[in-house]
Amino acid sequence: MSGSSEAATVGIAGIGAVSAAGQDVPATLESFRHGRPNPSKILPFESSIDCPTFQIIADLPELPGHLNASRSLRLLVRALTEALDDAGLNEDGLNEAPGVRIGVCLGTTVASQLNNVPFYEAYRKTGHPPLDAVHEYLSANLASAVGDLLSATGPRMTVVNACSSGTDAIGIAATWIRAGLCDIAIAGGADELNRVAMAGFWSLGVMSNQLCRPFDRDRAGLNLGEGAGVVILESAAHARRRNKAHRFEVAGFGSACDAHHLTAPHPEGRGLQTAIRAALAQANITSDQVAFINAHGTATLDNDRAESGVIHRLLGETVPFLSTKGYTGHTLGAAGGLEAVFSVLGLRERWIPASCGFANRDPDLPLAPVRDVTPINGDYALSTSLAFGGNNAAVLIRRRA
Amino acid sequence: MTLPPVSVLGVGAVTAVGRTLPLITAAISDASPATAAPRTVSDDVLADPATSKRLRRADRFTRMAVIAASDAWSTAKASLEGVPLERIGLIVASGFGPHGRGFKFLDGILDHGDSAALPTDFSHSVHGAPAAYITEILGLRGPSLSTTDFLSGFEQAVLLAQAWLDQQQCDRVLVGVVEELGEVLLHCAGRMLNHDQRISPGEGAVFWMLGRSDTPGIATLAVAPPAAVDLRIVDQPVIGPASPTIDPGHAGATTTFSPYFGHSPSSAAFQLLGGLLSMQAGRLLGRLIGDESSAAARVDNVATFRPSFDPSAATLRLTKVNSEPGPST
Repeated sequence: MSGSSEAATVGIAGIGAVSAAGQDVPATLESFRHGRPNPSKILPFESSIDCPTFQIIADLPELPGHLNASRSLRLLVRALTEALDDAGLNEDGLNEAPGVRIGVCLGTTVASQLNNVPFYEAYRKTGHPPLDAVHEYLSANLASAVGDLLSATGPRMTVVNACSSGTDAIGIAATWIRAGLCDIAIAGGADELNRVAMAGFWSLGVMSNQLCRPFDRDRAGLNLGEGAGVVILESAAHARRRNKAHRFEVAGFGSACDAHHLTAPHPEGRGLQTAIRAALAQANITSDQVAFINAHGTATLDNDRAESGVIHRLLGETVPFLSTKGYTGHTLGAAGGLEAVFSVLGLRERWIPASCGFANRDPDLPLAPVRDVTPINGDYALSTSLAFGGNNAAVLIRRRA
Repeated sequence: MTLPPVSVLGVGAVTAVGRTLPLITAAISDASPATAAPRTVSDDVLADPATSKRLRRADRFTRMAVIAASDAWSTAKASLEGVPLERIGLIVASGFGPHGRGFKFLDGILDHGDSAALPTDFSHSVHGAPAAYITEILGLRGPSLSTTDFLSGFEQAVLLAQAWLDQQQCDRVLVGVVEELGEVLLHCAGRMLNHDQRISPGEGAVFWMLGRSDTPGIATLAVAPPAAVDLRIVDQPVIGPASPTIDPGHAGATTTFSPYFGHSPSSAAFQLLGGLLSMQAGRLLGRLIGDESSAAARVDNVATFRPSFDPSAATLRLTKVNSEPGPST
C-alpha cells in the first residue's frame, strides 16, 4: 500500500450499539434474525401523547458527578465500551498508549438542549429554580464529556444536525483521520427518549399512534426511540503499529443540504442525491457496487417518498434496501451511528434483516424494501440520513476481501 | 499535524457594539467601556429590510446568524463568482443554541399540554434552525453542519473548515458562531457567575467566509501552535486588573475585546474579529493589557490566547496577506 492510499484509509476497528433492538451487538443481531420489534407503550415520562416508543430496558453505566444525570451520555458510554472492547482498545489500553491522539465526534439532539421541564416550570413559578439541571446540561456535552473521560487530546465536536447527526459525525471523524488530526476517532451518536422532543414531533404531525411502517402503503408516521451507536475509526498507520487488521472501513462520505425547507425534505431529494454521489465518488465506486442500503426510512410520508425516489434514480431497482426504524424507532441523533453499525453487521453476516413494519407496497413509491432476511453479495453498504434543516448525509462502508 | 492556513474572504458580524465593520471598528477603538452589564444586541441592529420577510417566523437567535452570514457573503461576493453552490459548506457553532425559542416551546407544553404546543416553536428551537435559514436564503447546497460546544466550538469549526478545503470537499466554507442571551440564561448566568462580577455575558454572531490559501483574501487563518505574533488577544474580565498569569513569555502587545463583545462559549470568534479589524486598521484596538508602549507596533499577525483552552488544540492565528507568520514556539 502506498503512503498516500494508506493515509486515505479509515478503518473501522470496533462497533458498539444499544437500542430497543438489543442491549449490545449480539442481541441486536438476534432481533434482526427474527424480525422482532420491541416497542413499548409505557413512557419513561408523563405525557398526554399516546404513541408507541422504543425504549431501552437495560442497566446503564454509572458515571461520575453530573454526568450521571444524562441518559444520552450513559447510553453512549455503554455502546462506547462495547466498541472499544471490539477494537481491542479498552479504556486501560487507551491510557497505556501515550501520544495517541484520540478524536471524539458525536451526534445528538436531546443532550444539546436545556429542555428540562421541571427546571423551567420552577423558573416560571418561583423565579429562582435550583440550578442542578443547568450544571448537568453544561457537563453533558457529549464530545466534551467523552473526551474528558478518555483524556482524549484530538479534536472534539458535538454535531447537532438533527436526525443526520450520527452519520455526519462519522464523516467528520473520517475527515480528521485522513487529515492526520488524530490516530483514533470515536464517532456515532446517542439520544434518549424525551418529553419535549416527543411533543415537538407530535406538533409537526409526523408521529404515528401505531407501530411505524417504513415505505409501506399505509405508513402513518414515525415512532420515537432511544439508543447509541458507536464506531471506532482508526488510521491504517496506527492499526499497523498495534498489529491490527481492519475488516471494514469508511470508504466514502457525502453531505449536502437541500436549501429548501426548515423541516421537510426536498420533494426530489436534491440534497440526498448530491450526498450519495459524493460518497460514491470518494469511495471511487459505481452505484452497482453497492450491496445494500440501510435507508433512513422514518415512515413519514415525505421522507420515504423522497428517499425511495433518490434510491431508484441513483441505484436502480434491484439493490436491496431496508429501514431499521421498525426495530429501533427513530433515535434521532443516534440513528446514523446505529445504522452505520447495522451496515457493518450486514456486510459481516452477509445478510440483512426484513424491513420490519413493511407489509404492502405503496403504488406511489418506485421501490419496496426487503420483506425477509435477505442474503447479501458485495462489499459496500450505503447508509443514508435525512434531517431537519434539509441536511442529508450518506456513508459508504466497505468490507475488505 | 497542522493543516494549511485558509484565506479569509469576507466577514460579517452582529454584535453588542453594532453590525457593520466600520461601526464595530469605531466602537472597539474606544477604550472606555468598563461595566459588567450584559452585552446584548439592540433590536435596531436586527431590523434588516433585506431579510425581514423571509425571517418573519425567526427569533433573535436565527436573525443574528442569518444577518451576520449574509454580510459575510456580501463582503466575500467577488470571490464567490463561479463557485458552484454545492461546493460551499456551512458550519454554525454555538454553545447554548436557540434556548430562548426552546423555552417558548416549553411555555406551550406547560400552558396548553404536550399535544398542543406550537410546531413553529419546535422547529425553530433546534440548533440547526439558523443553518436551515442560511442555506435557504443564500442557496447553499454543500455540507451544512451545526455544532455545540461550551469551550472551543469556533476553533473546532475552523479546523474542520481547513480539512474540508484541504481535502477538496468544498471550495468555500462559511464558518460562524451565534449566541443569544435569553431571559433564563441571563438569570442563570447572574447566579452562576456571582463569584466573579467582572464577567459580562455577551451575545451576537460572527461569520467568516473561508477559501483555500491560493484564493486572494484579506488575511489567512489557521488553527496552529502558539507562535510569536504582533498581537495576542485574550478573553479577559471586562473590568478590574488583567490576570497576571497570562502569557508571560509574549513580547508583543496583548489586548482584549471582551469589554465590547462580552463573554460566551463562542468568544473566540468575536475576539478574532477584533484582531482582524486591528489588522485592517493598522493599529492596536481593544483594551490593551500590560505595556501600552507596544501600542504603536504594527499588526500583521495576531493570535488568540486562552489559558484554559486545551493546549493540544492550539490557537487561532490570523496573518495579514503578504506577511510572514512568526516561527512556532
